[in-house]
Amino acid sequence: MRMFFAIILCKLLRFAGKLVGKGSSLPGQYALKLCPDVLGRVKLPSCVIAVTGSNGKTSTVEMIAAILRKSGRTVVYNEEGSNQIEGVATLILCNSTFSGKMRGDVLLLESDERYARRSFKWFHPTHFVITNLYRDQLTRNGHPEWVYNAILPAIHPETTLVLNADDPLVSCFAEGHEKVKWFGLDRCSISTGEHHGIYHDGARCPVCQGRMEYDWYHYEHIGRYHCADCGHHRHDTDFAVTSLDLESGKLTIDGDTEISLAFRSIYNVYNILAAWSVCSLAGADKATMASVISNYILKNGRMVQFTLGNHHGVLLTSKHENSVAYDTNLAYIRHTKEPCQVLIIVDAISRKYFTGETSWLWDIDFDQLNCEQVKKIILCGKYVNDLAMRFDYTNIAAEKIACYDTVPQAVGALKAGGGEELYVVTCFSDRDKLLDLVQREQ
Amino acid sequence: MELTIAHLYPDSMSLYGEYANVAVLRRHLEVMGVEVTVRNFSCEDTPDFSDADFIYMGAGTEKRQKSVLIAAPHYTPALQAAAEGGAVVLFTGNAMETLGASVTDAKGQVWPGFALAEFTTVETDRRTPGDVVASPALWDAPAVGFMNKCSLTHGITTPLFKELSLGFGNDAEHGPEGYVSGSVFATHLTGPVLVKNPDFLDMIIRRLFARKGWELPERLPVLPHEREAYNVTLRELQARIK
Repeated sequence: MRMFFAIILCKLLRFAGKLVGKGSSLPGQYALKLCPDVLGRVKLPSCVIAVTGSNGKTSTVEMIAAILRKSGRTVVYNEEGSNQIEGVATLILCNSTFSGKMRGDVLLLESDERYARRSFKWFHPTHFVITNLYRDQLTRNGHPEWVYNAILPAIHPETTLVLNADDPLVSCFAEGHEKVKWFGLDRCSISTGEHHGIYHDGARCPVCQGRMEYDWYHYEHIGRYHCADCGHHRHDTDFAVTSLDLESGKLTIDGDTEISLAFRSIYNVYNILAAWSVCSLAGADKATMASVISNYILKNGRMVQFTLGNHHGVLLTSKHENSVAYDTNLAYIRHTKEPCQVLIIVDAISRKYFTGETSWLWDIDFDQLNCEQVKKIILCGKYVNDLAMRFDYTNIAAEKIACYDTVPQAVGALKAGGGEELYVVTCFSDRDKLLDLVQREQ
Repeated sequence: MELTIAHLYPDSMSLYGEYANVAVLRRHLEVMGVEVTVRNFSCEDTPDFSDADFIYMGAGTEKRQKSVLIAAPHYTPALQAAAEGGAVVLFTGNAMETLGASVTDAKGQVWPGFALAEFTTVETDRRTPGDVVASPALWDAPAVGFMNKCSLTHGITTPLFKELSLGFGNDAEHGPEGYVSGSVFATHLTGPVLVKNPDFLDMIIRRLFARKGWELPERLPVLPHEREAYNVTLRELQARIK
């Protein structure tokens, strides 16, 4: 009976919340208070997919939903990104009948990496995709190994883990777990024998702390590795990108399916492969997956095109406190050909909480912008001095760099001159300060 | 004027941006006309401190700190001798814990430290990452920064920071933080502590000049953006305290 009332309460609160524009966590929060084990009582669909990891969750989940829907499945997922237990409860209960049976063929969840164990105390996913573990929001997350330890209790023995074989820390989740499927990127045009980046989180084995050896790197510590001391190594893959040409925007999956990239970033490659792997396991056929995923333009708005004065602009949404997200966007700019300017904004470090923490700026490889086509770099925001100091320790010529205290000042300067392509690198917490001042392209 | 920096485990004791402490010190010393040599030591090396004027270790994960503690007995006497000889030692983040008598991990295992001090540390299963504003014992301007710890350190009677108006101290909220004795400095502040705190950096430079017997210039160099960045961070953090 309590489950019945929890479902009614959740639906009513959600309805009321929508009318006043409230978020999706509150209804689930109250429902859980009324019936703490409600998530264990509801009958879920036979396919429950969860996605977690530092980067790529939202994009991967969006592509999984698109593929499975095209395959004829009814997919219920947390499109609003409420990925903690309260949001998950809202999603499940609002899509359940009063008798406690969830509608839909597939429940698809983007899961917060630190709180997955709370959600999965009451039910467990049939498939659990773990994309990667990086230095990400250390102000909340501690460090990647701490996050690893937080995810571990969320893993049920009957869940099929779908793991990124190229990430040495993610690979540790397979230890002692029977049902594991691996995805990864074969050696390709972007692979290097040398490590690139400011720090090397793959230098030491996550199992025994021995020295790791890499046959190749794709980026940062992602690549083909093995530990000479304990034997921890990259596993052979069940699903692989077998060739990749980022310049032409083409990749091949499993040697026979060519995919075109709408966004030519290594991130996009891994997100596509993760989505492909789990959809394949869920029974989607190759032709359908390829048709959906080829040239797929993400709707989550992480890349926005706009006009500012005579500049055509591209916003590459990074995450502050996440040097890998920055590095991949900087790599994208480095591989462009036309003359450009780059605007970097660090004003509010987070939109969800306050912090003055700027250590992460020192982990970003800003020297990637030390290339011919980058004509000017504009730094702005409250933390412009921290940014400027960080740039003082790069090899980029000081005359290429301009600093402004506020976004409107930087926008004014950009409007006043130049017509080069403009790339903007910043976070969700700061991007609207720019987008409110420019003309967005649809 | 020549000076040698020993950086311990830059490849593993690196939570975020620790290398910048060495970079900013080096930059300032070079501006002052000092020729700086940086020696990096990895876990496989036995560090040599015979010519080290400044010895630095940054923060790492709990696991990586343990691999340091496994190696520690091999060169504890050398580190102790260097510190007694007046080398300036700075350990930040959970590297600070290794300077004490022991670290007890979350499972209860006791790991002996370098024993440069008698304090002891106990790891907890609760992490307290957070911004910090601290009152230094040795200079005037408040220190700012960030802490990312899951431990309590007991037995320190000579803290580097007398109290924290924001943040968790050695074993208590707002309590004293860090450790100082002679030329040995330690704090659980994480990341580029010396970048964020120009006065802390200047204090280290003064100690190094004193060690070498060099005459200090009337004013220490102030490089662009450093003071402004510090002022903004302090202003923002103090606004949170109010």
